[in-house]
Amino acid sequence: MHDTDTIADTTGDLEVDVAGLTRVEGEGSLRLRVRDGVVEEARLEIFEAPRYFEQLVVGRTPDEVIDIVARICGICPVAYQMTAVHAFEHALGIEIDPAVRALRRLLYCGEWIESHALHIYLLHLPDFLGYPSALDMATDHRAAVEAGLELKKAGNRIVELIGGRAIHPVSVRVGGFSRSFRRTDIVALRASLEAALATALRTVDLVASLDPPEFARAGRLVALRHPDEYPMNEGRIVSTDGLDLAPTEWRSAFHEEQVPWSHALQARGRDGRPYLLGPSSRITLSARQLHPDALAALTRTGLADEIAVNPYRSIVARAVETVDAVAEALAIVDAYRPSDAPRTAWEPRAARAAWATEAPRGLIFHAYELDERGHVTHAQIVPPTSQNQAAIEADLAAFAPRVLGLPRPEQTLRIEQLIRSYDPCISCATHFLDLRVEDLS
Amino acid sequence: MTLPFSPTARRPSWRRSRARPPVAAVEVLICGSADRGDDGAPIAASRRLRDRLEDDVRMRVVGQLDIDDLLGVPAGAGVVIVDAATGLRRGQIVELPLNGLVAREDGLRPRSSHSLEFREVIGLADMVRGRPLRGRIIAIGGGKFSLGAGLSPSVANAIPALVGAVLDAIRRLRE
Repeated sequence: MHDTDTIADTTGDLEVDVAGLTRVEGEGSLRLRVRDGVVEEARLEIFEAPRYFEQLVVGRTPDEVIDIVARICGICPVAYQMTAVHAFEHALGIEIDPAVRALRRLLYCGEWIESHALHIYLLHLPDFLGYPSALDMATDHRAAVEAGLELKKAGNRIVELIGGRAIHPVSVRVGGFSRSFRRTDIVALRASLEAALATALRTVDLVASLDPPEFARAGRLVALRHPDEYPMNEGRIVSTDGLDLAPTEWRSAFHEEQVPWSHALQARGRDGRPYLLGPSSRITLSARQLHPDALAALTRTGLADEIAVNPYRSIVARAVETVDAVAEALAIVDAYRPSDAPRTAWEPRAARAAWATEAPRGLIFHAYELDERGHVTHAQIVPPTSQNQAAIEADLAAFAPRVLGLPRPEQTLRIEQLIRSYDPCISCATHFLDLRVEDLS
Repeated sequence: MTLPFSPTARRPSWRRSRARPPVAAVEVLICGSADRGDDGAPIAASRRLRDRLEDDVRMRVVGQLDIDDLLGVPAGAGVVIVDAATGLRRGQIVELPLNGLVAREDGLRPRSSHSLEFREVIGLADMVRGRPLRGRIIAIGGGKFSLGAGLSPSVANAIPALVGAVLDAIRRLRE
């Protein structure tokens, strides 16, 4: 599975070196060294990021770009499509039909539901319950795993219907969609969403009852915030330390930089500080905009304050957001009225485009420059994981000394569990870290 | 720990929605992505297979293998999963029974499954279906999976052998 996996643990030393973490979009590794109780190095290395895509889209039309960027990720293609399409439409001054706006929000709800359900039930819950995998967990908790799969399926159905297929959707176009959707098509989603809402609510109760490691991080949280709704496609970029920017202005507060150990660019604040995106940030910054069902579920847990500081509680944030996405989806389904045309006509022209939306894993930013034919001449794509990477490393460095006295399996579990708390795009690999522990003393 | 989910007599809705008349004796699930180097090997093989399959064999290009893909296999049908894998020589073809893969902790790592390993996808599908899937996985070793890359020469040269392995697996499953 990995080229070299080692942990060395003496009384004050810990050395974790896992090479060859694998994911579809690239490869990464984890390096963590603690000596005499002091963290010398904490690196989450990612060998491949969607940099190639920034070149691939050059010379392409906006509609082509929307299809291309969907290929960046098999789990959150909608996030890439939504960010790109909103960037183009904002830059070109295209007004979309309210029905299109609602369908796009529904599409994003679908992605959130499937991504969150996958992470909660198949990737993260086994950690808390002491199982090496969802398959092992299913031997004792089959009903829970089946419920999680059904929840995920409810999200898949939305993406498949509106996106045209479950993975790498193809229907999103500048100005709208490639086709119209009849009300009967959309209402057909209702039954599975009703069942999903009940499951999602029970999921909140389940994950709130879990006993996470104690850990309080003190970093900055960043997310979109919208005055009227929980942030997905629109909103301003805000932070726990007072940032408030238009979604086009990400570059005025953040920048990407190359680090020697990673092919992925790391994003940091202009002041050099890392920041954290994702469900915990959104809950902390936008709890009041949650759907009433989700807000009630969050309130019932009594964990809102802990979600803001303990990464292990992100599973609760994710579950609350699943309730929000399902409830929102139901509301959109019930209110849906088709538009007269599937999309608004538009004319290509030179423009500078930028936008940010909320992927399941956190804020995603795109910027494009278009020539007079409307073809892309420059692109910048900043996914959430590359933005979270510095915060993950900082948290690993802060947390590592806490595992020094633990038995080796517990050390491994706690470190893996922490990484999975951020649901990085390399979670598929980190879920299967198989660390060998060697005593170098 | 007791979880707040109890077994239910209601069959999962996908069983209803995915149910099809059991016309296919064998389903061939093609994994991979044509734009990611050697991950496109199964796609390349599928193009050659298209005209060589009997009427009772259904082939689907699924990209990333998902549990739902396996739940869509009709009851009683066999399944052949074709995917590129790391851990093998480029162009090396390996065939394994699905039931053996579930029990295997150190097996092939597919390049096109994002979130779960094969053994988990197959094991969870078996659990939901209530009985083990009958079938084989045919993996071809790859070396480069970068976006925009073509097939490695050794992988491209092995495509006819991959096609042959798939046809052979289908034949044995139909027996």
